[in-house]
Amino acid sequence: MAKKMVLFSVIGTIVAMIFMASSIVYPHPMLLVLAMSIGQGIAIFALVLYLLAVALDLQSSGGVYIAGEETPAIEEPPPAGGSGTPST
Amino acid sequence: MFSIHTTEQLLKAIALACAFLSVLIGIWYIVRRPHLNRVTKSMLLLGLGAFPLIVSLTGNIASFEYTLSRPFCGSCHVMGPYLRDAEDPKSNSLAAMHSRNHKFGENSCYTCHADYEMFGAITTKQNGMKHLFKYVTEYASTGPDGEGGPPIHLYKPFRSAACMQCHSATAKTWVATHADSAEAIRSGEMNCIDCHNDIHPLALSRRPTAGKGAAP
Repeated sequence: MAKKMVLFSVIGTIVAMIFMASSIVYPHPMLLVLAMSIGQGIAIFALVLYLLAVALDLQSSGGVYIAGEETPAIEEPPPAGGSGTPST
Repeated sequence: MFSIHTTEQLLKAIALACAFLSVLIGIWYIVRRPHLNRVTKSMLLLGLGAFPLIVSLTGNIASFEYTLSRPFCGSCHVMGPYLRDAEDPKSNSLAAMHSRNHKFGENSCYTCHADYEMFGAITTKQNGMKHLFKYVTEYASTGPDGEGGPPIHLYKPFRSAACMQCHSATAKTWVATHADSAEAIRSGEMNCIDCHNDIHPLALSRRPTAGKGAAP
């Protein structure tokens, strides 16, 4: 799911960049207005989609157990004979 | 060879370079389809976030600057007559003479026709959007110089304040030559263009053989 979202985001950004670059190279009024409105809208949407994909990806991988980083188990002290604090 | 002489050209170059890099990163992802590890995410953040943001910022500034220029105003075909006269080195119309000014000549249309109040830049841009709407809806299928379309006219009366940016209404010589009408001009009762009206001689309405729909 996250990969598909990233793919759509990339495609949207490429389309937006082509739109905006063409309005810079060939600044006709109509093209300028479309690039500044639709082009930038597509780019913003693509960025939001990508950030959402990253968030989903982080969420889905958040519970993964990573070996070697486990804290050592706290060993319980041996029960003292007749003295010491009672164990709870 | 591409050369950079102005800030506008520099901004355009930066915008195009960042757009190219962004597309390059996008194509890399589509072709390679790498796993979403830290490196891939960082590259994509650059390609989908940082570079497009730079393109947007620099491209917008450069484009807004370009919209002030005379060639931009003249890029709609109905403005052809106005542009041809303004760029004619032999013409003595007000538009042509002001277009030869080395300070603002390249932005002569905007300099005279912009609004100059507090939010003048914004209202001028809004008018620009109105121009575009009217162009698409009323003038798109008109003749090469706008023949057959409604007469081109200002949305509101031309104000002398635009002239008085540069032409003082208090200088001695001006007062001497405009003695009878100085107060009327300053107060707005009279306009500079009431007398100095050879502005756009090639406008359709001013041609001897004006077509259908020409302004009176």
